[in-house]
Amino acid sequence: MLEFFLEPLREPFFHRALLAVVLSALTCACLGAYVVLRRMAFLSTALTHSILPGVVGAILLGLSPYVGALAAALLTAGGIAWLSARRGTSEDSAIGVMLSVMFAAGIALMSAAHAWRDFTSLLFGSVVSVGTADLLIIGLTSAGILFTLRVLHKELELASFDEEYAELIGARPAWLRAVLLILVALGAVACVRLVGALLTTALFVIPSATGVLLGRTLPQVMGWGIACALFGGISGLYLSYHFAGVPSGAGIVLCCALPYLVARLSAPRH
Amino acid sequence: MKPQPWWSPLGDACFGLVPRIPYARPDRSECQGIAVEAHGLSAAARTDGPTAFADAAFNIPCGCRTALIGPNGSGKSTLLRVLAGLLPATSGTVQILGAKPQLGRARVAYLAQRPRLTDPFPLTLRRLVQMGTYAHHGWFEECHHGDEAVDRALHLLQLTDLAERAVHTLSGGQLQRALLARATVQGAELLLLDEPYAALDQASRDIVEGFLFTPNANLTIVMATHDPADSQRFDRILELRHGALRTVHACTGHPHRHA
Repeated sequence: MLEFFLEPLREPFFHRALLAVVLSALTCACLGAYVVLRRMAFLSTALTHSILPGVVGAILLGLSPYVGALAAALLTAGGIAWLSARRGTSEDSAIGVMLSVMFAAGIALMSAAHAWRDFTSLLFGSVVSVGTADLLIIGLTSAGILFTLRVLHKELELASFDEEYAELIGARPAWLRAVLLILVALGAVACVRLVGALLTTALFVIPSATGVLLGRTLPQVMGWGIACALFGGISGLYLSYHFAGVPSGAGIVLCCALPYLVARLSAPRH
Repeated sequence: MKPQPWWSPLGDACFGLVPRIPYARPDRSECQGIAVEAHGLSAAARTDGPTAFADAAFNIPCGCRTALIGPNGSGKSTLLRVLAGLLPATSGTVQILGAKPQLGRARVAYLAQRPRLTDPFPLTLRRLVQMGTYAHHGWFEECHHGDEAVDRALHLLQLTDLAERAVHTLSGGQLQRALLARATVQGAELLLLDEPYAALDQASRDIVEGFLFTPNANLTIVMATHDPADSQRFDRILELRHGALRTVHACTGHPHRHA
């Protein structure tokens, strides 16, 4: 039994994956609280999925995949803002358009490169693929996101709860929304190695949805979210290690859903 | 003082790295006799919509309690939103406490008829009222002070027992009182209220009326209401009807005749 937990710890790649999952859990759970409370789940799905063509394109061009991912995510966020600024297209449809177009572009690029198999880890995540350089990028991104969330905590809390009051006192909710979008894009880019483009959105939504069920204040929601993401992330890695066929993204998401289910069934009705 | 979690100093250290910037430029204008002064004011509820009222001229002295009456759809909310700085006037001029209406002024508070709040949101009532202090804090600053003002406002609107309740468990009347308490904490000198009695039962209404009519020479109130009966205790009554504004009753002499 003990060997089940100790055996993976002898592998250096598992150490890197563990560290990456802890950093991602912290970042995604804190950011996810805003995503869930502001009902931006669909938007975060669009941002995370749209990373795909960026990463594939960057690899084909021989650039860093992170550069491509970030460019694609920012392009999507800008596209959604631009499309929904016109009368007649709601933000919801704008997200739907950008999401499917970017994802289709990703699939077309992958097919053109005749390399479906190479990109599986990109879609669903892989424990073994987290290198030292990836770890550095995840660490820097996480630190930046957590720092921003900390110094803008009261503004983001206010603008998420009462946008009009934020506007009245001059706290610029439109800027804050843009900041949040950029942070979500950065967070998604950081997690793509570990969880994969298709499943990163789950790391934003599931732990925070658990947090919202259990927490009474915003820090409590984030705290429960972190706990849920850490549990899901670490057990997901073990799942992925012991059952070699399971990509790490799938394992992590399945293990995150477990605490959500427990919380959903046991939380008192408000 | 509540015990802080172990990681708190780690998070607080972040604030040392960023400069403090106020949300808006400091407001040095002063209320010199007239709190609100409008000439030829016109506005529309939406930027490309029809004009709600045109050519309105009125003034409201400092410390005067004014009722803004008129039937539904007569433009009361539009006028209040213009005064709050949320909506631009299509023509005319208006001076609020000696300056043009604009966002980011802690001295002006506005309470919407139906506040658009995110629900549910993990927030205690105390934290909601504390948000009134933000106007004085500015960017990149955690609120560490203002607790006494919050306690006073909670006491004033009889919310002390509910302070730790989650916002989404409050009734409409309790929430309305909480938002009024937030405006109090903000220290506003001009209070713009849009149908504040709409969601209130008699008990809550008595509390809110008690608060509004407590003598306070530093507080000017403009309250929109569709019910002329509500306007009885006010010093001044403005009526909006068919797109035109007229002063029905102007306060004369001392504005606090209900002291």
